[in-house]
Formats: sequence, structure tokens, C-alpha cells
Amino acid sequence: MSFRILGPYTRTVATAAVIAATLIFSYTSLRVETWYAIQPLFEWMETTWFGVIGKTWGGAFATVQAGHLIGLAVLGGCVIASDGRLLGLLLTDVPARTVVDRAYKVFFWALMVTLATGIFMACGVAMKIYYLPVYWYKMLALVAGMLFEFFVRQPMLKGDIESLNPIAVKIVAISSIMIWFTVAATGRWIGFSG
Amino acid sequence: MQEDNQSKTKLNDEEVAGLTAGATVVVFFAIYWFLQIQSVRELLELAYG
Repeated sequence: MSFRILGPYTRTVATAAVIAATLIFSYTSLRVETWYAIQPLFEWMETTWFGVIGKTWGGAFATVQAGHLIGLAVLGGCVIASDGRLLGLLLTDVPARTVVDRAYKVFFWALMVTLATGIFMACGVAMKIYYLPVYWYKMLALVAGMLFEFFVRQPMLKGDIESLNPIAVKIVAISSIMIWFTVAATGRWIGFSG
Repeated sequence: MQEDNQSKTKLNDEEVAGLTAGATVVVFFAIYWFLQIQSVRELLELAYG
């Protein structure tokens, strides 16, 4: 049973509302107020076990970081394979449905690994990243990427891909690549900052 | 036949949502990376003329 309280274009209205809310949050004092309000959370993160281990045991931090980078590499590979197929650039001899479905399964677990290791690493350098603007850009890109993947891209691709509007498919593929490229690039940027 | 053609050209909710979110992402990140590259160019010009 479909639940469409906003009429036939419920998902579109919800997507536009989330975009508008994000822009309002980003360009008003709400963003700065929230930033001040969550400072105690970052101070607390450094005092947790994860924070203490991350700060005092460089080997543990480096090992977890290796897992983080491998997770991100696998995630990036899934994005390139899946979106490259949607753009008609890669794996054109394999049905798009097969590539998209198989890449999604690996993508999901790569994202889980990246999130889990990322939380550990964030605890170790919590106050450093708190003051880094690029960290917040990464979080914006990451949240945008997850919302985009689970609430826009996957629902759009769940049916017959061949019957979808090709322009919509290509714009979704290009934007997916841009989001995850930005997540990866800003992530590495954090490593070279502070 | 005409109705068939109309139903094929009409986008469903998921496609419109995809176009809306996709176009926003492309525009936002294109501006973001353009500004980042511009700031690096300005820094290089300040450093090396």
C-alpha cells in the first residue's frame, strides 16, 4: 500500500522540502547556533574509549584508518561501476539491473564499514575536526549522499531501468558520482588540515 | 496511441524527485568546486605573482 499524503508527487515535494530546509539551515544563524550547541558532544567524544585509544595509540588509529580508506575505496568502486553503467560508459555488455543491484549490495556494507571506522577516527581527533570547515562540508556531502542514495536514487531505480527517462537517469548518475567524489576528496582534505 | 505517447513522456514521482535532487547537487557542487579552485588560484597568484 502506497502512503502518499502529499498527492501523486509526495517524494518530489519531500525532496524539495529537504533541499529548502538544508539551504535555510546553511545560510542562517541556525547553523552557527547548532555548531556552538554541539561543542560539548565533541569534547565528550575525546573522553570516550574510542577517543582515548585514538589519541594515545597511533597504531590502532592507523589500522582503523586503513579500514576506513579500504571501505571508501570499495564504496567508490561501487559508485563508479553502478553510475558508469547508468551513463553507458562501463560494463555495457551486462544488464544495468544486474550491475546496479550487485553494486548496491557491496555499496551498503562498504558504507557501514566507512561509517563505523569514521566514528572511531572522529573520536580520536574530535576537537581538531570540530574547528575544521572542511569536516562540516564532508558531513554535509555524506548526509546528502546517504539521503540521495536511499530516498532518491534507489527508489527511482527499483523498477525497470530501461523504461526510465534517460535524462533523469543520467543526472542522477552524475550527481551520485559528484557527491561521493566530494565525500572522498573532503575526507582526504581533513587529513591534510589542522 | 496518443495516450500511450503521453504516458511515456510523463515523468513519475521518483523520476521528478531524482531530477530535482540531481540538478541541485550538480549545481551546488559545481559552484563549490569552482570556488575552491578559484581560491587556490588566488593563493598561488599571491605567492608567485
